[in-house]
Amino acid sequence: MLAVLTFAATEEESGNFLVTPGLGLMIWTLIAFGITYLILRRLAFPRIQEALDRRANAIEESIEHAARTRKEADELLAEYRERLTEAREQADQIIARARKAAENAEREAAAESRQKREELMEQTRRDIEAETRRAIQELRREVADLTVMATERVTRKTLTAEDQRKLVEEALADLDFSALSGGPANGGAER
Amino acid sequence: MRTIHKILLGVAAWVGVGILLGVAFGSDGKNEEFKPQNEFKLDDWVPLQIGPLDMSINKAVLYLFLASAGTIFAMTWIARRMQDKPNRVQTAVEAAYVLMRDNITKGNMDSRMASRWFAFVGTLFLFIWFSNMIGYLPLPTNTHEKVDVLGFGIPSFALYAATANISIPLVLTLFVWVAYHVEGVRAQGFIPYFKSWIPAGTPGGPMKGVIFVIEVISQFVRIISLSVRLFANILAGHLLILFMAGGLVVLLGLAAIGVFTLPMAIAFYIFEVGLVATLQAFIFATLTSIYFGGATSAHH
Repeated sequence: MLAVLTFAATEEESGNFLVTPGLGLMIWTLIAFGITYLILRRLAFPRIQEALDRRANAIEESIEHAARTRKEADELLAEYRERLTEAREQADQIIARARKAAENAEREAAAESRQKREELMEQTRRDIEAETRRAIQELRREVADLTVMATERVTRKTLTAEDQRKLVEEALADLDFSALSGGPANGGAER
Repeated sequence: MRTIHKILLGVAAWVGVGILLGVAFGSDGKNEEFKPQNEFKLDDWVPLQIGPLDMSINKAVLYLFLASAGTIFAMTWIARRMQDKPNRVQTAVEAAYVLMRDNITKGNMDSRMASRWFAFVGTLFLFIWFSNMIGYLPLPTNTHEKVDVLGFGIPSFALYAATANISIPLVLTLFVWVAYHVEGVRAQGFIPYFKSWIPAGTPGGPMKGVIFVIEVISQFVRIISLSVRLFANILAGHLLILFMAGGLVVLLGLAAIGVFTLPMAIAFYIFEVGLVATLQAFIFATLTSIYFGGATSAHH
């Protein structure tokens, strides 16, 4: 190397020094490079690496977070859908039940009203019968009085209670009231 | 047509100016004194002799420490200000870091080796890159030619680069060369490492010996190829810029040709700064990684 260096010194006027290595400069190079290497390795690269890692982690976390949020949202949506279906079913059930209740009520009301009407009708029929009987009774009394009066006029004598009873019995035996008393009763049954 | 006319007119005017200058100044005759290579000569600024070693501080040492300081300052400054939301500079540094880590280092060696050597390869890339880039800044370093400013002899501005001196790429290469052989022996054992130089499938007998000799030669050629590639690229770039930006004018004594060479100097300058400086740093670091990876992986 030293031989080369001396050779370079003599040949300086040409361009040989350009391709002649110098040992001193090499050592300076190693020193400068070594210092640079140690400082970069200790102070620069780890920090840059750390920052890159931190960012990578942050990105990863935010991606994970987004995925988690979406999963949660999906679950929530599914739950809501389920609830909605349940609610719809319940609503359907309620409607069906209400409809059934309404039908029942209607039917019951109809039955009740029919019963009431029948009761009313029965009452009416009974009233008519009672009235009919009363009328017949009255008619009999009227007929008896008229018979007594007519007989007294014809016989010019006052009849005793015995005579009157006998007379009325006889007169009424000839009269047929069956048509009067039986008529309305039969008609009510037919209706 | 109009554009073509404009271009033709421009070229004609340019050539015209050249001819005019040629007529006006003529030729001063060839300049025998000016030696362009002396732009790269190293003067001992601070002579320093340690035993047989000449450790004198010169221009190259200054450039080395400028590159070192630049690398350290820029990287630690940015590393200390790493933000979660990066600005442009941080984004660029992160991109460079990821390139160094994933592409250059992890792309060429296994993860264990990558974690051990990443800092070295990364520093290599950044150190060479800064060294190359500082080489394109004109700095007042030419102590051959001084400019008198108010009685002070200020060195004239010049371009120089630490990587344009063979010593610097060579010693980095030697370090890489020794280190990857050591790693190879550590990873595979002494004999198996040298055996691994012979490619698998080589027929036995004397053929193996021949291949081994060729491989040994190729290993030594790597020292030359790795160092000279960087050195020659940077030196050639500087020489081209030097000649085009005025060297030819001075040498030939023809002021007029400066009209034609100066645009070329600018073009070369842009080419060197924009491409060569980064590309050569990248190639040096990548080849280093490939050598490490090749030495430590089992198959050759």
